[in-house]
Amino acid sequence: MATAFFRTVILYFLIMSGLRLMGKRQIGDLEPSDLVLTMMVSDLATVPMQDFGIPLLSGVIPILTLLALSMLLSQLSLKSLRFRALLCGTPAVLIDRGQLRQDVMRENRFTVDELLEELRIQGYCDLGAVKYAILENSGQLSILPWPREQPAAAKRLHQVVPDDTVLPYVLINDGRVLDRNLSACGKSRSWLEQELSALGYLSPKEVFLMTYEEQGGIQCLRKESAT
Amino acid sequence: MKMFLPPILLLTILLTFSLVNCSLITRQTDRWSEQLAAADACADAGDWPRAAQALEDSYRSWSSRQTYLHIVVKHEEVDGAEALYRRAAAIVQEQALSEFRAEIADLRNQLRLLAEMERVSIGNIL
Repeated sequence: MATAFFRTVILYFLIMSGLRLMGKRQIGDLEPSDLVLTMMVSDLATVPMQDFGIPLLSGVIPILTLLALSMLLSQLSLKSLRFRALLCGTPAVLIDRGQLRQDVMRENRFTVDELLEELRIQGYCDLGAVKYAILENSGQLSILPWPREQPAAAKRLHQVVPDDTVLPYVLINDGRVLDRNLSACGKSRSWLEQELSALGYLSPKEVFLMTYEEQGGIQCLRKESAT
Repeated sequence: MKMFLPPILLLTILLTFSLVNCSLITRQTDRWSEQLAAADACADAGDWPRAAQALEDSYRSWSSRQTYLHIVVKHEEVDGAEALYRRAAAIVQEQALSEFRAEIADLRNQLRLLAEMERVSIGNIL
């Protein structure tokens, strides 16, 4: 058990360092510490699950050790920015004010083809449209285009638009009345029954979906089996 | 500092359990091994009833720890020692000295390996 404990600690830091050295492109959507935890825990869990000759504790102890280490490192990274930079790395600016930073690309082992591919994925076919391109710690590329390439928003056009964004509450879901949502929008069962009868429904069971918007709009879909 | 407490506590518990487990298994296997050494000495002196008794004492003590051993040690290793105990019990009835001594030596070696597997050492860790 002690051997498993110490081996887990060593391998955790070894894999973490390896991933950090491999660069951001290898990581995907997770940060290094999360990726190591996910990879190792899933592997550790399957061994005692499949081999009945191995005590369950030989899987449980390394898993708990990994969870504790991961918790400890995330707390340390919250406390110290330098530790966080060491653990997760820092975002790398690949395009700075329209200038391609080849040295940063080399450091991060990011090829031109990969950069162009990422830009195309995000809808930019022209390198000149990009002001900043930042390689995040998770391996994803954030792109900030020049103002002239940014989509027109009301604020940019100095337009005042009415606030018509509403949050619809689901009141009936597949024939079931959601009382919590009903009370959240300040309505009662009797109001719901009145609305349903006004719309030609005899019971909530006939409704597949009913939503209520803050400004009073109601959307109602009949259940197909009830027609 | 409070937020560091749960992971540090968990790591401390795991490490303590691992070290206690190591110490416990070493102590137990040493005791069983001593009982087997006594059985070996008795057999060598021709006192087969006492040899059988020492072997039985060791086996009884071993059997009482079976659940714990199966929880912390690979089942294959525990089953290997169990088989050796049973073979030694059969040989002690036949009073075959050389076979009995060879079997006891194997059994003591198997118990030593059980303890060695749990020991904290550079060799084990690396």
